[in-house]
Amino acid sequence: MLAIARSVERRWSATVKPDQELIAEALNGQAGAFAELASRHRAPVERLCQRFFSDHELARDLVQESFLKAFAALKTYRAEMPFAAWLRAIVINLCYDELRRRRRKPEELVGDFTEPELDWMQLVNTASPEDIVAAAEERRNAHDLAHRLLDMLKPDDRTVLVLKDSEDMSVSEIAATLGWSEAKVKIRAFRARQVLRKHAERMLSAERRWAAR
Amino acid sequence: MGCAMNCFEARRDFRAFWRRELSSERREAFLAHLRGCPGCDGAFRNFALSAPVMHSDVTPERRREDSPRVREAVPARRPAMAYRATARRREWFSISAAAMALAAGVVAAYLSVSAPVGNLNDVLSQQEPQVEPVVDLFGPGTAQTFNQDGGFAG
Ligand SMILES: [Zn+2]
Repeated sequence: MLAIARSVERRWSATVKPDQELIAEALNGQAGAFAELASRHRAPVERLCQRFFSDHELARDLVQESFLKAFAALKTYRAEMPFAAWLRAIVINLCYDELRRRRRKPEELVGDFTEPELDWMQLVNTASPEDIVAAAEERRNAHDLAHRLLDMLKPDDRTVLVLKDSEDMSVSEIAATLGWSEAKVKIRAFRARQVLRKHAERMLSAERRWAAR
Repeated sequence: MGCAMNCFEARRDFRAFWRRELSSERREAFLAHLRGCPGCDGAFRNFALSAPVMHSDVTPERRREDSPRVREAVPARRPAMAYRATARRREWFSISAAAMALAAGVVAAYLSVSAPVGNLNDVLSQQEPQVEPVVDLFGPGTAQTFNQDGGFAG
């Protein structure tokens, strides 16, 4: 068993270059090295961008911009930090800036809901927890509505909430990434959860009243 | 029942339940707690509104029946209590409607963004909306291209 594991490990290390090696090759102008690095780290970058923006096009643009920035700044990368964490900091700052740039007008945030969104809210109000989880996986409108809800948060609050609750980053990591104090991160996280809960309650109780009409 | 769960434990497990990471025993305890605790049940439903973005790793594709053209033909909304049966009928209806939309061609695909049909604004605006003035700190960014496979273009 151990022998099999070792041989697999040997084959793996023979075929898969570590990030650091690819970075060195990319810095030496070797074509394809950065492309391999990018394709290796693309999935978590995409996922992170999609937690910030419902617009697929925009998320895709931000993914591309993140890798462009990373490529341009590759010389400044230091090996003490894993490449994934360094890249993530670039992505976060881009998404945060975009979030602030795109801050929507108040009237766009609440108001008109689509029929599928109303259906989803109704399901959240009435179905069992298991059915809710199962349904969310296949409903795009559940995703859209979640974005609408999160859009109600201030950019600072939303960013902290995504990083802390979705990406499992620690308070100190978030503070270092955004250049904030740890106290600010904690306050924002607390506030974000409070505001989010308030808006979720409001949406669900509005749906109940709507359905009861 | 071996392990009764308290409210603190139940709320800490929201995310793991959403991600299907709870053991079957823990899951049962979690569900039993929610059935008996309206506070945690309500908190879970609030959580479920943001969880599809916050705690799911995949974004479902936008379905054809989400498009306004198809939805126009969806039967009128039924009372909340009848949800399940209604939903099932609507699924079937949606499948045939989607097929029709496919036949209709590109138009339905073009209309992939859902248009508003219900207005809850009157209900929601009874309470003050929690918003801030818009501050545009940055000018429009310049577009650059980077291929899917990681190469640069242009
Ligand atoms: Zn409880």
